[in-house]
Order: sequence, then C-alpha cells, then structure tokens
Amino acid sequence: MSLPVSTWAAEALAVFAKEWRCELRTQVALSTLGLFAVTTLVVASVSLGPLGVAKAQGSALLPVLLWLILLFSIAAGLPRAFVQEEESQTATALRLSATPSALFCGKLLYSLTLVAALEALITPIYVTIMNLKVESPGLLVLALTAGGYGLAAGSTLVAAIIAQARSKGTLFSVLSFPILLPLLILVIELTRNAVLGDPAGMALAQLLLYDASVSIFGLMLFPVVWNP
Amino acid sequence: MPSTRLDFENVRRRFGRLSVLQGVSGSVLPGGALLVTGPNGSGKSTLLRCLAGILSPDGGRIDYREGEQDLGVAERRLRIGYVAPDLAFYSELTVAENLNFFARLRRVSPAWGFEILDRLALPTDRMVGALSSGMRQRLRWAWALLHRPRLLLLDEPFQNLDAPGEEGTRALLAEHLGEGPGGLAVIANPASLEIDRVTARLDLGR
Repeated sequence: MSLPVSTWAAEALAVFAKEWRCELRTQVALSTLGLFAVTTLVVASVSLGPLGVAKAQGSALLPVLLWLILLFSIAAGLPRAFVQEEESQTATALRLSATPSALFCGKLLYSLTLVAALEALITPIYVTIMNLKVESPGLLVLALTAGGYGLAAGSTLVAAIIAQARSKGTLFSVLSFPILLPLLILVIELTRNAVLGDPAGMALAQLLLYDASVSIFGLMLFPVVWNP
Repeated sequence: MPSTRLDFENVRRRFGRLSVLQGVSGSVLPGGALLVTGPNGSGKSTLLRCLAGILSPDGGRIDYREGEQDLGVAERRLRIGYVAPDLAFYSELTVAENLNFFARLRRVSPAWGFEILDRLALPTDRMVGALSSGMRQRLRWAWALLHRPRLLLLDEPFQNLDAPGEEGTRALLAEHLGEGPGGLAVIANPASLEIDRVTARLDLGR
C-alpha cells in the first residue's frame, strides 16, 4: 500500500514519540543502557586507566574497547524495541494499525536517538579517563555518527526478527554476530584512524555503504518478519 | 452484488499436530452478522485471527471486498475493526494517549473514539495499566471503531462488561450494522448471543 510521504512520516513520528513517552515513564532501556555502560566504563578505567596502557598500545586498544562498551550496552537495551510489544501483547494493535515500513522507521529513529544519547554520554568520559588523545576529532564524530546509526539499524532489524521467537536472548546474539561484525571492524578502523590522525580511507565509504544496505534490507525485510 | 462482503471458504489451520480449523466456510453481507459459536478450543479465535490477517491460514481462501476493491491481506489488516481478549494497549500511557496514538497511525481524527469512550463512560485520563478488565474491554471497542471500519471482528465482545457496558457496546454494534451502507460483523462467542441482524450462524462445536 503506497502512502503520501507526509502521512507515512507522521506515522513514523507517532511511533517515535510513543516510544520516548513510554521510555521516559518506565526508564527501562535508559537505565539498562546507562548502568551497563557506566559499569563497563569503570571496569575498563580501573584495569587499563591512563597509566595502564602505553600510548602506542592505547591507540590500538582503546578504540576497540570503546566500541565493545557501546556494543554491549546497546545489546543490553535495544532488543526490547519489538520484544516488549510482543510480551505486553500490544503487537496485535500495532499490526492492525501501522504501516510496517513507518513502524520500522519510527522504532529505528527511537533506537538511533538512544544510541546517540549513549555515545554522547560515554565517549567524552571515556576519552577523558583513558587520557586518549584524538588527533582528528571530526573523524571521531563521523565514526560515532555512522557507527551509531549502523548499530541502531542492525539492532532494530535483529530485534524485529527475534520478537516472535522463543529463545530471544540466544537468537539476538546469534543473529547480531554476522550482521554487526562487519560494522564493528569498519568502525573500529575508522576510530583508530581518528585517534592517529590518519585519513578516513575506504573504511568510511564502506561504513556508509553498510548503513545504507542495512536500512534498505531492514525496510524490505521488516514487513515479512513483522506480519504472519 | 453488494459492494462490501466477506467470504471465506475451506479455511484450515493447524498448530503443530493439532488441527484447529478443518475447512471452515462462511460469508457476511452488509448489515448482517455471522455468529460463530463453539466450546473453548474449537477454533473461534483462530478463525477470527485468520480473518483479521494476524494469523495465516494453512489453506483455504479469504476474500474481503470494500467498494470496487478486493483487499489483500495487508490492506484488510489495516481496514478492519477487531475486538479480542488478548488485545492490549500501552499500560504506561493514559486512555487518551493510547487513542491519540492509534488515531495518528490510522490517519483519522480521534474525535469519534473519544465520543465512544464518553458513551461507554470510560475516563480518558486514567492510565491503561490501572484499568479494570471491563474498562479495558470498553477501550478495545473504542479502538476497534476508531477508524469507522466496515468489517468488525468481535471475539467474545461482551466479556467482562457490566450491564451498562454491555448495553452501550450492543448499541454501538447495532449502529454499526444499521447505519449508512451497513457494516458487517463476525462475532465469536462460546454460547449463542441474542443479537439483532445475525444473518448466519456457524457452529464449530464437535
């Protein structure tokens, strides 16, 4: 069914607004993501702190650690995007009311803002306590933006796929691995380039291509996995 | 030939080894209702879920026509009104917030939904999580009729309602079946119901 863009966008925005309204009242995802991120950040800083890692090793190791913290924090909170709808039995009302592509985009927009908020909270603290000197801050922002989008899109897609399954937790890990692995490799390389002051290279183009592919794949696949 | 009608033929559905629907057929025309009866587990809810498009039948044919259009399952899903015991709304939101949200998704004004809530005496500022089961059933009715659907699929539609609630929802059903070009309904209930305009009955009892 084709809809004018304005009504389709209004549907997506309605889903986005509903997600945040529910989240601000329950704070389930915010507290899960926040607590997990802060805990891992504290563990990393105590173990590897500014004196624990030599500068040469730091530029290789610290970008990996940053993205692992972000990945596992997101994995702890984002799968609930669709699982919650199934568990609370609100999925039926949604299926009978929302255009699937608009629903997916509304959920993706919500995940994206959640990931952006997490990155905005974690990255400055991480850079400061790890004494990580970033030669190209602009490239780091680009890596966080493109990488954050990829994480949000990939996680939202996997969350939609697993929503109706029984072993959701296991399935999320199994499906996330092949979907998010290329993203992590690219975004870690890009972050490392930002730290060292190297040019973005092919990693940025490949990362943007990955983001576009996951978005298109998600929009095409979502109506199939969402509806019977 | 009426412009709006629902026909289903030889609808079958299994859950693993259990065959719940074994070739069920029926049809409904405007202004009429099909009453589906049968004991628990006889497949009434499964049939309604198949007709709503939220469960795929294993076999058979479901045709729903509105005006000049034969609607596919994706369009049928968004056009029908559905009331069922397992239909839930966002417990973190108020009744009004839920209704406004679904009105935006359905691209309609929420005014008619609020009028129904008013007629059914459901407070709109109460959190859905704090509603009684009868109040939730009233909200299901307002949600199902929000976009003025032609086809209503009602699974145990008067469950948990008190006398005024049942009277109010029966009046809404009578209006739906009697107004304008005439809506149509499929009603599932374990026991037979006294409803005007029931034009066909389907007993799934074995």
